Amino acid sequence: MTVALPREKVRTRLSDAASGLLYLSPSIILFGVFLVYPLLRTMYLSFFRTDTQGTPLEFVGVGHYSNLFTSAAFWQSIQATVGFVLLTVPLTILIALGLALLANEKLKGIGIFRTAFSATMGMSVAASSIIWMFMYNPSIGIFNRFLEAVGASGVQWLLDPQYALLSVSLATVWMNIGFTFLILLGGLQNIDRTLYESADIAGTSYWTQLRAITIPMLSPTLFFVGIISLINAFQTFGQIDLLTKGGPTNATNVIVYAIYKDAFINYNVGSASAQAVLLFIAVLLLTWLQFKLVERKVHYQ
Amino acid sequence: MKKLGLFAGLASSVLLLGACGSEEATPVAATTEDGKTEVVFWHAMSGDLEKALNTQVDAFNASQDDYEVKPIFQGTYEEALTKFNAVAGSEDAPAIMQTFEVGTKYMIDSNKITPVQEFIDKEDFDTSVWEENILSYYQVDGKQYSMPFNSSTPVLIYNKEAFEKAGLDPEKAPRTYDELKEAAKKLTTDGQTGFTMLNYGWFFEQLVAAQGGLYVDNENGRSGDPTKAVFDGEEGQNAFNLIKEMYDEETFLNVGQNWDDMRAAFQSGKVAMYLDSSAGIRTVADNADFEIGASYLPVPNEAERQGVVIGGASLWMGDGIAEETKAGAWEFMKHVSSTEAQAQWHVDTGYFAINPDAYNEPIVEEMWATYPQLKVTVDQLSETKPSPATQGALISTFPQSRQSVVNAMESLYQGVSVEDALKRAADETTSTLGQ
Repeated sequence: MTVALPREKVRTRLSDAASGLLYLSPSIILFGVFLVYPLLRTMYLSFFRTDTQGTPLEFVGVGHYSNLFTSAAFWQSIQATVGFVLLTVPLTILIALGLALLANEKLKGIGIFRTAFSATMGMSVAASSIIWMFMYNPSIGIFNRFLEAVGASGVQWLLDPQYALLSVSLATVWMNIGFTFLILLGGLQNIDRTLYESADIAGTSYWTQLRAITIPMLSPTLFFVGIISLINAFQTFGQIDLLTKGGPTNATNVIVYAIYKDAFINYNVGSASAQAVLLFIAVLLLTWLQFKLVERKVHYQ
Repeated sequence: MKKLGLFAGLASSVLLLGACGSEEATPVAATTEDGKTEVVFWHAMSGDLEKALNTQVDAFNASQDDYEVKPIFQGTYEEALTKFNAVAGSEDAPAIMQTFEVGTKYMIDSNKITPVQEFIDKEDFDTSVWEENILSYYQVDGKQYSMPFNSSTPVLIYNKEAFEKAGLDPEKAPRTYDELKEAAKKLTTDGQTGFTMLNYGWFFEQLVAAQGGLYVDNENGRSGDPTKAVFDGEEGQNAFNLIKEMYDEETFLNVGQNWDDMRAAFQSGKVAMYLDSSAGIRTVADNADFEIGASYLPVPNEAERQGVVIGGASLWMGDGIAEETKAGAWEFMKHVSSTEAQAQWHVDTGYFAINPDAYNEPIVEEMWATYPQLKVTVDQLSETKPSPATQGALISTFPQSRQSVVNAMESLYQGVSVEDALKRAADETTSTLGQ
């Protein structure tokens, strides 16, 4: 049953909506200009052949998409991307969780460790990549010097397709630990102390407490960190560009780097847009799946 | 205040979006505070080269009162070209753009540049004083599109101390593939490898051209649009076989795609010989704590040495910018191609002078006494026989083709055969030519 609203109320509602929109306008404009418009434009361009500046020339339908699905290079970059995600995300979360559990103990001088563990958050991808580049350098890098000092032969960290993806992943894990650690530590500190006190009185071991209290109570944070890390891993660009440029023999040519090369070196804007759209769909699906499957296990207070 | 700034920025970016593609106003030249016309110059020179470039710009700015050239570093040649592509033809485009040699065709096809021939004709500017090989590279259909500026060639650089230790004559560098292999075998000891070469398309192109081989059909794209990559022929196979054989014998070190890594390997004594650009000679000579030698690019024994292709870059004038700005850009181009400026440039960097008269300047003679290696690059170029092979290929998809060649080189180290690796790179290049 609907009741006609008095005229004044309608007016207030309208002006409420208007002022609401006004308050929202900065973020609407920002999102519109820098997210929604580029997104729609990318979808549009993925159906066109373009000139080198990205001006559409000719409608090609799903031509770019069908080319991609039959291209060996595209499947190789999918493979590299999946490999990269699997190498970085679980390891980052595990290490960061371990460090967060350590740093959550109330000890003298723990602040120093907390700062140290989260320090990589303050490092830009560019600066960290350069540091790792020097460490991986086969001639003057510390890793090979160390290997040689213990009598092993040096490894071509970034030049051997067998090691390149692993090397870039290790550097990435290191870069991402800081942020993940900080979020997880925050999550740990929000857990109600009384739960542990009750557990202590019941005489449970540390490991039981970890399994029965810490992990369930931390699960919303873990879930958040998992999603963010996964999306970040899919979008990795900086360290690839600086460390390997997608090489050797495309072993580290992850999808975002492939998009960059196609759009800005090869000037195939249409094909690059199609890959960007596919990446978008993949990340969307994965995130949806995570919500469907994992969130059931998340314990919200 | 911060919020206001953000808002103003937002508003202007919205305006900017609206302005894109609307009516074409006559461009207005930007001026500096003291009334000089500002000439923006995008370049790709980093490290010691950037310092040398800034010296040139400062000299020009001090020499006259009408123009102020503003140099802006835009990353590697590839990166700078990408950025140029994004703004070409708009008011944000630079007045002067430095583009590498293989971007020549791309720049011409973009239609977003002003050929310098216009100014050459207007002023009857004499280009005959330029090195012949440079003229032949940058002239397309009899027209000068860009102003040659920094030209380089590949050279073989070697560690003289390591040569002595290995019982080789440090004054006699290997000139053929066989000599190179022999020397590399002797130089390969514990912790030191004989030879290396960057996984970079330029060196491969040079090794092919030195034997007189073409990169694409139709006379390297000089007599008509190219339709097919031909670098997988005999000459290309010779070059790849050299790499593969030496790699298998472990006298070749894979240093990847990074110039600095390659130079680090040489300077730290990990490798005794390598190919570099002549523009790297000064830096390497200054930084290595042993004496270095420089020599010509090696060729297979049976091949007749054809010489090298001009490398490096030239200066392009933007389009859609104010006439005064163009005039300023032209003045600057004339300045840096002058005998004095080129002499300074040559001794500062190792790029050779586009204007051979520069070699008679006293500073050059002085410098050659200290760095005899610099002279090698000059001799190598003047001995080059002009032909479509040494003129270099004209294709607009060169950056893409170079990626294919790099992949092919890298796959050699993974055991792929020379024929397969080259064929794949050539097929990929051919498929881009049709686009």
